[in-house]
Amino acid sequence: MKVELVLNERPAALECEADEMVLEVLRREGLTSVRATCGIGICGACTVLLDGEPVSGCLLLATQAAGRELTTVEGLPAEHPVPRAFEAEHAFQCGWCTPGMVLTAKRLIEETPQPTDEQIAEGLGGNLCRCGCYVKIRAAVKRAAAA
Amino acid sequence: MRLVHYSQDAGLDGMWHAAFVRSPVPHGRVCSVDVSALPPDCVALLPQDTAALGRYGCQLKDQRVLADPARFVGDIVAAVAAPTRSRARAAAQAVGVDFDELPAVFDPLAAVAEGAPLLHPESGASAQDKVSIGVRPLPGTNVCHRFRLFNGDVESGFAASAVVVEETFRTASAQHAPMEPHATVARWTEDGRLEVTTGTQTPFNLRDDLAGALGLEPERVRVIAPPMGGSFGAKTFTRLEAIVACLARKAGRPVQAVLDRGEEFVTLNRHPAVVRVRIGAEPDGTLVAKQLDCWADTGAYADCGPGVATKMGYAGVGPYRIPHVRVDALAVYTNLPPNGAFRGYGATQSVWASERAMDLLAERLDMSPLELRRRNLLRDGDRFATGEVMRDVHFEECLQSAADAVDYEDDPRGKGLCVLLKGMQTPSRAAISVERTPVGYVIRSASCEMGQGIRDSLRLQGAALLGCEPGQIEVPDPDTDSSPFDTRTTSSRSTYMMGRALADAVRDLEAGGGERGYGEIANEGGLDPDTGQGIASTHWHQGAAAAQVRVDEDTGRVTVERLHAAVYAGRVVDRAGAELQNEGSMIMGLGTALLESIEHADGQITNANLSDYSVPALGDVPAEMTHELIERDGAEVHGLGETALPPVPAAIGNALASLGVGLAELPMTAERVLEALEARDRQAAGAAV
Repeated sequence: MKVELVLNERPAALECEADEMVLEVLRREGLTSVRATCGIGICGACTVLLDGEPVSGCLLLATQAAGRELTTVEGLPAEHPVPRAFEAEHAFQCGWCTPGMVLTAKRLIEETPQPTDEQIAEGLGGNLCRCGCYVKIRAAVKRAAAA
Repeated sequence: MRLVHYSQDAGLDGMWHAAFVRSPVPHGRVCSVDVSALPPDCVALLPQDTAALGRYGCQLKDQRVLADPARFVGDIVAAVAAPTRSRARAAAQAVGVDFDELPAVFDPLAAVAEGAPLLHPESGASAQDKVSIGVRPLPGTNVCHRFRLFNGDVESGFAASAVVVEETFRTASAQHAPMEPHATVARWTEDGRLEVTTGTQTPFNLRDDLAGALGLEPERVRVIAPPMGGSFGAKTFTRLEAIVACLARKAGRPVQAVLDRGEEFVTLNRHPAVVRVRIGAEPDGTLVAKQLDCWADTGAYADCGPGVATKMGYAGVGPYRIPHVRVDALAVYTNLPPNGAFRGYGATQSVWASERAMDLLAERLDMSPLELRRRNLLRDGDRFATGEVMRDVHFEECLQSAADAVDYEDDPRGKGLCVLLKGMQTPSRAAISVERTPVGYVIRSASCEMGQGIRDSLRLQGAALLGCEPGQIEVPDPDTDSSPFDTRTTSSRSTYMMGRALADAVRDLEAGGGERGYGEIANEGGLDPDTGQGIASTHWHQGAAAAQVRVDEDTGRVTVERLHAAVYAGRVVDRAGAELQNEGSMIMGLGTALLESIEHADGQITNANLSDYSVPALGDVPAEMTHELIERDGAEVHGLGETALPPVPAAIGNALASLGVGLAELPMTAERVLEALEARDRQAAGAAV
């Protein structure tokens, strides 16, 4: 079947099975920033924005995205302040969790323009980084918020 | 933003996907495999396809491509490949396997008891790795390696001690939980070479294992190692690669395997361990004797368990001058998934035991734990228990940095300390090449990137040596066809070893006309596994940690308010990278201390997902988390990849002990804290009566 939606600001029609998650469909489209990791919506590494809200790509049926707007980090402009802040603060090691962190942080800052440490911990609580870059991730969110 | 290309992103034309048929029993012979229900358009790899292939294993050759008997729940007994991943999984479900069940054992102490079921009745042959340890299996038992260390006369040492403390400690098994699961692609070229693209820290070990198992010359196997989405030891030696290679050969096309999260928990974990410490001192706190007995549960296959048990053994001696020492460390088979390299490599388990025991001793001596440690720390020129003379020693500065960070000397209540020494892979060899290009240089090295930043480290060191910008240096993915030999990317050795090899290569480049240079460094040494004497490490990873905790006495919940680690860096190459390694080690140590434990029932893992198995999240980071990288002018680079992990659990455990909450087992869950609080209160009530 085909699902019509807006993908990274462009109209798209994605071929998928009725029971397929958006994670698999986006990866097939070459959007490899969306990464299968825990499979149960715990770790945040497959986070995409659905009409601007972070959701786990491993739990979202592709058909549920029909007629809506999906954003992955590939769709963020190169000069976007959040990924730039992650670069500037060296807020990653292996880089696997970074796309999900960036998208979640983007929404956090939109909702809470000057987040406290507690609000950052809460807002990014569903995004795991096994390398343990949290100190610098927190700094990156603050830097992006100040930008 | 710039995205990393991992091995799971490596798709090949015509590639099929693998799925595995895993044993549901912890120990059992494969009686029959029924493939009558297999859907069309798939290929199955069955026991008869691999029966004639060789054994493999990095330290003992005790593994076969497909298992028979299956030795743990999840052991792979057959595999399938199909055009899509979901079809492969469905096909794997359609394979029926009958097992003849055998008795099983799940605890290392039970596994060494008389009459325990044997996992490997015949010991595997030693891998005879030129740079590996001597392996000492005890034939006819489940002990795949015994490491012993003798120094002085421990019995007379205890007899001469005024105070002797003895306690048995335990640590749980843990999952590395790299965010990126294991992913491997294999293909056979038209001229019969095997090419494997896989997330691995050990491309040359893997190449040799594959060649041995498949009966090929090592040069007929090519291993390419893209960056990994984390590893922490999980992606070492041979994991899925041999099976995927066989599937690709049978399917006549490339095959990829990507594990799901549940499968990660049956692929490689950390050794759970039992460590018994006995330590004796004079009334003034001078250490006299120490005995350490370790049982490292290596699971169903040895993997590098012998190496882990060895390091567990000597790291547990601690950075102290002790005239009489005896260590007896066993790596023991059980019917659990294999345990292998894990950031901290044996030190995590024995440092927990050894440093908790130091605080028990301090309490018995009515002495400050800081003062007890200070009095006994190794200093420059001292001999360690292995007989080697210590140089460039900075334990005291590490310990002081930790103590100062929590104002330990003002008030030690609710605070704890830990100091450790950790060895680096010795002996080992690292080679590297530098080629000039029109725009800069290419540095070829088999040091693998897993987030630790080895590429940046090589670029920065190369730029300084070559007088160019780091951006002018290209560092391609490790490739056994074109990267010079390296032992492996483990034990925090790469920046130190490859950095020195690089300096050698740049000298060669300049001497030889400036087009290509080759450099090679070997560090010599090794320990005699029967005496523990020799060179354990060409230089030492040195560190300390301090923690300040608060306990909710109603719930048992522990809050770490302050956490500090101090690590001897010698010289920092990449500041941000070094900070990240320290912070990441501390946070992983926090998980080991408070959260992480793989649970099993009858050999079946019961929390094989990231919901029931918790790893630290941002909210778990202590309010005050600091660290120090101790540097000295002109000093050698010291690896930093894991030194700050092993001291964290004992620092927290000792902080709890200062509040009367004495724990001997990791992790320090709320339940265990509550039990310890009840024991404390019972004891206080008893004393009052």
